Amino acid sequence: MFEFLNEAESIKIIVTVGSMALFFVGLFGLLTQKHLIKIFMSIAIMEVSLFLLFIGLTFNKDFTAPILGDGHTAFVAMNDPIPHAMILTAIVIGMAVLALGVSFTIEYYKLTGKTKIDEMTEMRH
Amino acid sequence: MSIKRNLPTSVMSGFALSAVFVLTLLNILLQNIPAQINTAGYELLKLNADDGVANAVTTVVVYFRGFDTLGEIAVLFIASLGIGHMLHLSDKCDLKEHSNFMLYTASKLLFPIITLFGVYVMVYGHLSPGGGFQGGVIIASGMLLLLISHKEFEVPHSLIVTLETLAGVSYVLIGLIALVVLDVFLGNFLPHDVSEMGLLLSGGVIPIIYIIVGIKVGSEMSSIVQNLIKRDANV
Repeated sequence: MFEFLNEAESIKIIVTVGSMALFFVGLFGLLTQKHLIKIFMSIAIMEVSLFLLFIGLTFNKDFTAPILGDGHTAFVAMNDPIPHAMILTAIVIGMAVLALGVSFTIEYYKLTGKTKIDEMTEMRH
Repeated sequence: MSIKRNLPTSVMSGFALSAVFVLTLLNILLQNIPAQINTAGYELLKLNADDGVANAVTTVVVYFRGFDTLGEIAVLFIASLGIGHMLHLSDKCDLKEHSNFMLYTASKLLFPIITLFGVYVMVYGHLSPGGGFQGGVIIASGMLLLLISHKEFEVPHSLIVTLETLAGVSYVLIGLIALVVLDVFLGNFLPHDVSEMGLLLSGGVIPIIYIIVGIKVGSEMSSIVQNLIKRDANV
């Protein structure tokens, strides 16, 4: 009954809809939340949705991982390695930016005792 | 009184974002963008058969995009430097007390195994899924386990600085040696025979660079985790 879900087109549409939904969940949090840690969490959710979109759109269910071994002796019928490498880069950079942002938040809380963006009035005068 | 006054901001942005979401989806799906994705990597896989290692992702990260990886670990280094600078200035304090007995005992047992697994993932990065980034993060997670279970444990600062500096310098040095020998920055100047593909000692300079990346990522992650935890007890 659900065989159509196994087709390549359906997989790509599901991946697109799901990852874009996750992206907009993150964007909603980014726009509505006031707490700094929650804002950074929303940015992390948006990042993860883009990782899913990149990997999912180039995923081919008939191909294997681009690694020799386990009986594979030639680089044929393998998935594209470029999105994997790009996303590996993006994960590391995203982690670094997230850790830096969280440490900014910790330091700001330590200095002023505030955690919300609408209480940030230090630069107004 | 307008509608805007009556509704909270979250509801307003929820409606607006839902509209944008539907429009984006219609745009992507009606233009059938998923079917138009044309992967360039299949050409690259053919190149990889002549000039690479068994794990094609490793070849892309370390060899074809080696210069980008150098920039990437520079970004990681700057982030680690910023966190260390910001959180290191004030007095550090240890955790208030030891963690519970189960975690305290199990961490002593688990730490060597986690470190061994991280080294395995790092060294076999050119043959199997994994590599320097993943192995470095696994080693840093072992450090995290020790940091939350032993209240006085501290990763030696001098060790972190030494490893980080040595790894960064040797990455650039390998690139410069290749520039002298082959006229290509980060070229593969060590012997890398295609018939040896799949052996542990194969791929010339690629596994060496990935181990260097692993050492650098492991030490930087450990220092980030340590700075956040030691400071967290103080707040």
